[in-house]
Amino acid sequence: MSDVILKIRRQDGPNSSPYWEEFKVPVAPKANVISLLLEIQRSPVNAQGKPTTPVIWDCNCLEEVCGACSMVINGVARQACAAMVDSLSKPIVLQPLSKFPLVRDLMVDRTKMFENLKKIKAWIPIDGTYYMGSGPKVAPGVQDERYAISCCMTCGCCMEACPYVNSKTNYMGPTCMAQVKLFNAHPTGAMYKDERLDAIAGDGGIVDCGNAQNCERVCPKEIPLVSIIAELNRETAFRGFNRWLKGKPKSPGYESAPG
Amino acid sequence: MSQKYHYLARRLHSFTGIFPVGIFLCVHLCINSFIFKGPEAYDWAIGLLNRSPLTPYIEVCLIGIPILYHALYGVWVTYISKTNTLQYKYYRNWMFYLQRFTAIVTFLFVFWHIYVLRIARIFTGAEMDFATIAGWLSDPTIYVIYIIGYLAAIFHFCNGIWSFLISWGITIGQEAQNFVSCVCALIFIAMGVAGIAGLTLLSKAAV
Amino acid sequence: MKFIVVGGGLAGLMATIKIAEKGEIVDLISFVPVKRSHSVCAQGGINGAVNTKGEGDSPWNHFDDTLLGGDYLANQPPVLGMCEAAPGVIYLMDRMGVPFTRTPEGNLDFRRFGGTLVHRTAFSGSTTGQQLLYALDEQVRYWETQGKVNKFEDWDYLSAVIDDNGVCRGCLAQDMKTMEIRSFQGDAVILCTGGLGAVYGKTTNSIINTGSPASSAYQQGVYYANPEMIQIHPTCIGGDDKLRLISEGVRGDGGRLWTYKDGKPWFFMEEWYPAYGNLVSRDVASRGIFKVCRELGLGLDGQDSVYLDVTHLDPEWIEKRQHGVLEIYRKFAGEEPTKVPMKVFPAMHYSMGGMWVDYNQMTNIPGLFAAGECEYQYHGANRLGANSLMSCLYAGMVVGDKSIEYCKALKKTASDVSNKVFEAEAARQKAGMEKIYKFTGSENPYVLKDEMNNYMTNYVGVVRTTKQLKDTDNKLLELMERYKKVGVYDTGGWSNRTAIFIRHLWNMFELARGIVGGALTRKESRGAHYMPEYPNRDDENWLKTIKAKWTPDGPQFSLEDVDISLIKPRVRRYDVSKDQVVKEEAEKEAASGKEEAK
Repeated sequence: MSDVILKIRRQDGPNSSPYWEEFKVPVAPKANVISLLLEIQRSPVNAQGKPTTPVIWDCNCLEEVCGACSMVINGVARQACAAMVDSLSKPIVLQPLSKFPLVRDLMVDRTKMFENLKKIKAWIPIDGTYYMGSGPKVAPGVQDERYAISCCMTCGCCMEACPYVNSKTNYMGPTCMAQVKLFNAHPTGAMYKDERLDAIAGDGGIVDCGNAQNCERVCPKEIPLVSIIAELNRETAFRGFNRWLKGKPKSPGYESAPG
Repeated sequence: MSQKYHYLARRLHSFTGIFPVGIFLCVHLCINSFIFKGPEAYDWAIGLLNRSPLTPYIEVCLIGIPILYHALYGVWVTYISKTNTLQYKYYRNWMFYLQRFTAIVTFLFVFWHIYVLRIARIFTGAEMDFATIAGWLSDPTIYVIYIIGYLAAIFHFCNGIWSFLISWGITIGQEAQNFVSCVCALIFIAMGVAGIAGLTLLSKAAV
Repeated sequence: MKFIVVGGGLAGLMATIKIAEKGEIVDLISFVPVKRSHSVCAQGGINGAVNTKGEGDSPWNHFDDTLLGGDYLANQPPVLGMCEAAPGVIYLMDRMGVPFTRTPEGNLDFRRFGGTLVHRTAFSGSTTGQQLLYALDEQVRYWETQGKVNKFEDWDYLSAVIDDNGVCRGCLAQDMKTMEIRSFQGDAVILCTGGLGAVYGKTTNSIINTGSPASSAYQQGVYYANPEMIQIHPTCIGGDDKLRLISEGVRGDGGRLWTYKDGKPWFFMEEWYPAYGNLVSRDVASRGIFKVCRELGLGLDGQDSVYLDVTHLDPEWIEKRQHGVLEIYRKFAGEEPTKVPMKVFPAMHYSMGGMWVDYNQMTNIPGLFAAGECEYQYHGANRLGANSLMSCLYAGMVVGDKSIEYCKALKKTASDVSNKVFEAEAARQKAGMEKIYKFTGSENPYVLKDEMNNYMTNYVGVVRTTKQLKDTDNKLLELMERYKKVGVYDTGGWSNRTAIFIRHLWNMFELARGIVGGALTRKESRGAHYMPEYPNRDDENWLKTIKAKWTPDGPQFSLEDVDISLIKPRVRRYDVSKDQVVKEEAEKEAASGKEEAK
């Protein structure tokens, strides 16, 4: 078992100042970054041999489906559970995501991503949970497309890598755009398509994208974010023209999805 | 309401980059290309534009205002981005960065260019022709500034075409985007070579 | 009426939706942002007998398979309720937009799963749990925008508030950021807090599944039923931090288990169980692999693993249906599963046992409900694959409706209860927390957990012996003694996860003792509980639910009859079809009848 040096950017709370701490951690075969952090929990001593507090970070599933353990590893945002130690350059440098409010050490608060989902009405409106027979038929091709997007675990890597997600903008981020497509592609969701397009035509919407295309590169689920955004660019543009050329229909409630 | 204008403002920025600013750039370069047919042809071509009675209106409405809008809004857009090319060293991220970098260079260059060759002229009454420009470009500093400014401008234009086609949802798939990316690179190279040749010709011609 | 749902997995979210839909307001308390709940890890699918493949499947057949799979330990009426509701639940999820895998006509596709011979499992690639969870998360988000749901995410449930009449009137929870402890009033408190994998350490469970809320309820007087019924999933891959599941759906799609015998591939499951082949129920499959590796010494390279092979299947087809699972294998095992067979071994996966509930999902403390993996109702002694998602959703629906009924009938509500009741419980919890902050001993809590994990994994797994169970119990007592000398290392009052972990650690110890005690009590082999000392199922003495009651001196166990009013328990065989078993039993009965007549 060899040792690896781990450099971690730590911060005791949102208002404390950050500091770096180094750890020397033994590496077991098939270890990932999480196992190193677990090892620090078992013996919270830094590289200088001084006792310290265990590092705080977020993680749940450890198989890259829950999206909890996003952090910046050697400069790039990714899931710590899928970062196998053997494949990383050493020393391993861990930092919290920088685009979200910090909670402690490597833990951040990604509430804003969930709040954004409210803005775009990211749900299929249903009449109720009572028995109403089966859902609409969906072409296998459409299902494939939706499934790829539906694997988004709101991990925030795309937000972290996006040059336009920052404190100067309200950009909702690539993931939110993909969710619009997810719901607009569903036969029931499509009934309220225009509302979601309008939601991303506003502040923080799709026009804030600057085509840096980092989002797709860092997405652990390989969601085709770039094409999705391009397609929504088209749809929002058509929607904008249509709305202007046709005018709004008079009947009240036509456009409004439940919610 | 601000919501609606956010979309409009940003899309207008993208639109003006090609129509009319990009188109004007091409027309401008076409006119400049007459340099390869000799000084007389060059003077005739520049004169063509100057002789039209509509020129002042075109210059203000179709060129001046859009350029100003594209440039000023663009500076804002550049300001609010947070580049991270050192972390995410991807090709497209570098292009993203260069697009903004060349935007600033082009911004400075174009306004200086317009000032010295168009606006100052109104006050001095100097004639814009082959001789003046050739003399002007014979200064090596100015020559180098022109090369840099010109390359920045056409880079910004070519990469802007790629970006424009995505922003308007024309090229959606990865393959289409990659194809356009190659075409834009070729256009950049062709324009670059021709432009540098033209500028060099002009700078040497004065001697 | 005030409702508290604890836990944001499938059961919790479904309960929340059911209550919000009726116009009531729900406080939803969750240890993690609900979208990251452990339901997200479920892969293979969700069972519902729709019979779209012309196999003559029916809810009754589903019910029969489920009981058989669970070795008849489940009370039958609720299981029948679930199986009858199942197709409707799947259609509901479909209406919510779950991207279920489709047939060419655009209908739902169904795959085969363990413990059945028909295609009954709807699926969404191989991330069905994730897709179902997200659909519910979206619906709850909608109700949030309607002001019907207040989410408290990153809050840790501490305990129920129980008034002098023994009725639950709310709960206590702690904000894990500010460490603030506060009480919530609730006429119904619904625990949907999932499994207890962390008791076993390296399992297929998420790291958050400590079972702490269930343990807390158990320590407050809720019976814990059939604690010894722990499912060991046959096909998992190793790792330093956890063991990762390779879905049963892989075998449902044609994956085969084999190892080398005499230098040739030996498809042992297919040989032993010609009728069900690789798709026997999970306890049987795990015992099969254990037999190959531990008894026969035929594990690959003499190690603890066998092959799970999909290399004979069309790579494109299997990729499409199992992308999520194959990706996990690629990432964490570093090999290409469509070219080289996957190496797998059983790992702890699920707890069939859990809080005792009645048919309305209410525990023995009035007002305190439970649904999902944290209760014991639907799976008996062994859970069939793809039944967990269904049981969570169905129990969530039941508990939603039933908790409203319960609240409507209440004469006195939580707001009528004296504040002192809440204050007293809050004071108790705050004192507990203060005690933890002052722990300055030399024992590392994480190391104590590791030691418990080793014992639980090695001795309370697929094969159990009285001696090893007793050793484990002694070890647990030792650890509980050493717990008193634990050091907290971190005394900060902000996001102190170590202090929270220490609280959970004690709760895990209590649950572990329940599990071990239950295993020692049950003197037979049934479902997941296999003791070579008592190799057979003993319906006469042990067709009983074991109920653990917490006392300060350790768990006390009592027995309760199982409701077998609908189907008479049969012998459990997977080598021949059910029809064959029924036929043989009938013949046997007829023969013995003749004998008696003589």
